[in-house]
Amino acid sequence: MTDQHAPSRPEPRGIDPKFLALLVCPVTRAALDYDAVHQELVSRAAKLAYPIRDGIPILLEGEARRLEG
Amino acid sequence: MTDLASSPAASSDPSTAVMTRAYRFWAPLYDAVCEPIFLAARLQAAGIARRSGRRILEIGVGTGLSLGDYDDGNEVTGIDLSPEMIARARERARALAHVRTLALMDAHDLAFEDQTFDVVVAQFVITLVQHPERVLDEAFRVTAPGGTIILVNHFRSEHGLAAGFERLVAPLAHRVGLRPDFPFPRIAAWIAATPGASLLARDDTGPLGSFPIVRIGRRAGPLQGE
Repeated sequence: MTDQHAPSRPEPRGIDPKFLALLVCPVTRAALDYDAVHQELVSRAAKLAYPIRDGIPILLEGEARRLEG
Repeated sequence: MTDLASSPAASSDPSTAVMTRAYRFWAPLYDAVCEPIFLAARLQAAGIARRSGRRILEIGVGTGLSLGDYDDGNEVTGIDLSPEMIARARERARALAHVRTLALMDAHDLAFEDQTFDVVVAQFVITLVQHPERVLDEAFRVTAPGGTIILVNHFRSEHGLAAGFERLVAPLAHRVGLRPDFPFPRIAAWIAATPGASLLARDDTGPLGSFPIVRIGRRAGPLQGE
């Protein structure tokens, strides 16, 4: 296991914005919003938040967090 | 999940859960077992992919063995269903500037915009997924007009000694997530049924031509009905 976090910096290797622009929700194919604080990709249409773990976006419906309302 | 009425899955199609479990066990062994067997086919496929376009998607990138086969002329994106496999790919990708990013996705539901890639490569994937035709549909959707889909696979031997042996080991192989009983005509049928898709080439590589590289083109220009 490689440890990539330094205590003071949350995400040393962020997601390439150009890459983010190509991503869509795998359920609705609607655009995703990047939540840098929570490290999530949010699909408002599907009310799902897809996690980004260790810099890897996890675009699987079963791994997504359901959003309220 | 979408119901896949349009793809009459064969009874031997493995479920996604079976595949995820199988690859959890495969991840540590995968490189040692697969690298020598698949090397020739992999290198040839990457050579074709490099020449076919800049933006490349590797579906089922696994541990990232193929990532080093590309160079600065390419922008490579890799996806896989297995977190254990993609964690290994990420370690490999650190040293490779041409790897744009890696993501966990299901090949049946790609999270990319339409027509995003010049080349979509699926090595040893299409015969292992639950709904191969659905995966081909998705690969085609994210391929740009004029782009290429490259499949590397073992297809069932239709004749001779190899055919008999494969039938014998098929039930065993299936349990660990391999499926040697996938017939090429199923790919041909998908191509015939997909407007704008055409078979560009089928190159036989590997021992006894056992790992054919199949190239499928997406016609340039808008498709009818789009």
